[in-house]
Amino acid sequence: MRNKIISWSILAVIAMSVVPLFVSDTFVLRILTEAIMWIGLAIAFDVLAGYTGYLNFGHGAFFGIGAYSTAILMVQANWPFVMALFAGAVITALCALAAGFPTLRLRGAYFAIATWALSLAIQQLALILTITGGPDGMRLPALLNPLYFFYFMLGAVTTTFFLFWFLLEHAPFGLKLKAIREDELGAQSLGLNPTRLKIQAFVLSAVPTGILGGIYAYWITFIDPASTLSDLVSDQALVMVVFGGMGTLIGPVIGAVLIFAFKTVFWAYLSDFQLLYLIILGAVIALCVVFLPNGLWGTIITRNGGNGGMKKSRMIGPKRNQKNADKTQKLAGALKDCVQKEGGE
Amino acid sequence: MATPLLELKSVTKTFGGLTANNQISFKVQTGEIVGLIGPNGAGKTTLFNVISGYYAPSYGQILLNGKDISSKPPYELAGLGIGRTFQVVKPFPGLSVLENVLIASFLRYPKRSHAEKHAWDILELTGLADRAKVSAAGLTLAGRKRLEIGKALALEPTFLLLDEVVAGLNPTEVDLTIELILKLRDQGVTILIVEHIMRVIMRICDRLVVLNFGEKIAEGTPEEISNNPSVIEAYLGDSAA
Amino acid sequence: MELLPQALIDGMMLGGIYITIAIGFSLVYGVMHIIDFAVGEWIMLGAFMGFYLNQWSGLDPFLLLPVVFLCFALVGYLLQPVIHRVVSGRQGNPLLMGLVFTFGLALMFRGIALTSFGFFSHSIPSAFSSKSFFYEHGEFFVTVSGIRLAGLVYALLIAGALHWLLKKTNFGLGVRALAQNRDAAALMGVDGKRISSYVYGIYVGISAMTGVLIGSILSVSAQMGPNYTIVAFFVVVLAGMGYLAGVPWAAFLLGLVQSFFLIYLDPGLTMLAVFVILFTILLVSPRGLFAKGV
Repeated sequence: MRNKIISWSILAVIAMSVVPLFVSDTFVLRILTEAIMWIGLAIAFDVLAGYTGYLNFGHGAFFGIGAYSTAILMVQANWPFVMALFAGAVITALCALAAGFPTLRLRGAYFAIATWALSLAIQQLALILTITGGPDGMRLPALLNPLYFFYFMLGAVTTTFFLFWFLLEHAPFGLKLKAIREDELGAQSLGLNPTRLKIQAFVLSAVPTGILGGIYAYWITFIDPASTLSDLVSDQALVMVVFGGMGTLIGPVIGAVLIFAFKTVFWAYLSDFQLLYLIILGAVIALCVVFLPNGLWGTIITRNGGNGGMKKSRMIGPKRNQKNADKTQKLAGALKDCVQKEGGE
Repeated sequence: MATPLLELKSVTKTFGGLTANNQISFKVQTGEIVGLIGPNGAGKTTLFNVISGYYAPSYGQILLNGKDISSKPPYELAGLGIGRTFQVVKPFPGLSVLENVLIASFLRYPKRSHAEKHAWDILELTGLADRAKVSAAGLTLAGRKRLEIGKALALEPTFLLLDEVVAGLNPTEVDLTIELILKLRDQGVTILIVEHIMRVIMRICDRLVVLNFGEKIAEGTPEEISNNPSVIEAYLGDSAA
Repeated sequence: MELLPQALIDGMMLGGIYITIAIGFSLVYGVMHIIDFAVGEWIMLGAFMGFYLNQWSGLDPFLLLPVVFLCFALVGYLLQPVIHRVVSGRQGNPLLMGLVFTFGLALMFRGIALTSFGFFSHSIPSAFSSKSFFYEHGEFFVTVSGIRLAGLVYALLIAGALHWLLKKTNFGLGVRALAQNRDAAALMGVDGKRISSYVYGIYVGISAMTGVLIGSILSVSAQMGPNYTIVAFFVVVLAGMGYLAGVPWAAFLLGLVQSFFLIYLDPGLTMLAVFVILFTILLVSPRGLFAKGV
């Protein structure tokens, strides 16, 4: 199952990269670029929400920090885009560290409130400071090359996706995060340091978001607090993740695609009813939580016996670290006697 | 006298005005099984929490192989070889049985493939292999107790803290757990066990430490303790002494 | 310096309103352990109901309060089982899901309000609106607006009523038992589900009434919700979650801080300062000023 997912993902990426060969309509390209961006935002949100169990209502703040950092460096300091983007990523990481240390010690509910308050504070800051252009926002030097941004966004999100896949589904990191999510105290007795893991997850969630913000800034050439620091970024990411399936990485991808597709169609054909979108978003989350708490993909996996397909057949075999094998052998002998006597319970 | 594996020196733990543990001192030698007993509310689980790093002692020291571990957090102690079970079992409900043990295996086997092999071994040994993919929340109580022990074992501890591991099990299951504990001791694991069921205590413990109202009131072999007047009084009241 | 007493009075008035916003919110957290992100939206919906009832019947909003209370209490009572189902589910992280659910509700309500009522802002006229009291003492000159005073009286009445309900009735005893230990309370015959339904209903009713009041004192608009959600968060965090006795103190403190900042500082900075204070409190003493929060 897991290997199938990797193959499908690689296929999807290849498919996406050749799309511009067939589609030259810049409008469509722009839609696709934004869709890809939302996939990235959703999976980044899921790292903290699904795997670690912490709802970061300030997710959008990192998007804005990345956007503004990149913008300010490009406009005020004349840095080239890539350099500014990189610096923006570093700045976002530092902000995540600074915000994470105090807030991650709090329990889930308090964390949600704290990050919410933080994101509102940052929005206020952007409105007040002159360097950010206040409510009027900032204009960036224009690069009108939809193809450039399409591939940039695709590259960023693809890298993020595979990095996350490796860290969260393959390496122990993801499972450790889930342990913290399930029972922080119990996890400690097994050798896990919750604060360190949570902060790592927080930074891991923030950096791609900041990078996407930077790319967005250069792409759209105009940012202001209303567009980049509003709660709409966090809200939509939340819906996408909950709808798709928390803690599954694929779920948020599916959720992002579906919700974004819906939004685009909705706004294209029902632009008179834009406000209806808000209602639908809210209804989707509420209904999802009640009827489909594991989200679309999450429900699909649990139906199929879940747990990512760790097969027993991989285990049986002579390849074993001999030193550890001896220890285990001794224990094995001892305990096997007990179990044999019991005869299976 | 060899350095004891675990030594408590005047360990005291207070919460505001309440003294849960008061000047408790005792030693546990390598290879022993020591029982920690006492009436409810005597402070046994608090002491466990102090030893396993969840609380820092308000006063006093805890030494592991002569080194002070008093203020170390639980995750460091796991690395140093201390494993524990919880009185109210703590499985990770949203994860499978295998994943539960896997997380513990990561401590000694950071590489995933090795950890998985190790986890399967533990599952075979604790008889949970057939339920490996089941969600931990779906296990019976006996299964969950078994999982709890399995997770602690996966840490490959040298010192194991067992907190009422047989509470709620039927007599057959209790006997099997006793066997398991004895085998563990034979393999070189030192054990400190909190238990209420006298049958278990008398059978497996080399020595007992008795707590009452936060203080250590007696220490000795099971025979000595069962004849100790203050112990009898603590459990049964004045009239029985 | 002459402005000091005015600042104090204004702060007290604000604080009064904030008490009613926060007290229900804190109660719900204590009993049901959920944070209702939709608290501001309940206030907003109540305000709109008050506005339209007033337009239709011509009755003073203060007379409409009981009507609004009953309607919304019913809504809350009926909604509670859904929330309960979300919070006690075996899948996912129940408390987290509760948060997400109420958040979804808030979005939905805001969307519905914006769609139905647009972006306009109204005010609910009241007999008290035009009355004001003036006090002069030496060089100090204070204006107390009639309607804000009425609001304060209302707040104190509500707080008093809740206090009586919780401390002097069997129902209140059940509520307090539930808040402290759900399982033990159930064993004692306390019907957790029914009481939770009543509590949530009362909370929604009170919030809606407060909305009517805010609509009379300030204004009604579809976007007003989040501001008051912030107020609720702030007061409750400051007071300690679930610790009702701390709410009046925290509410007045917030009112005073806000009015001082408004008089001596720029409004934009005021919001920023409020957030910073909230954040700092969460860091320094997450269980509230009195460290009695849950």
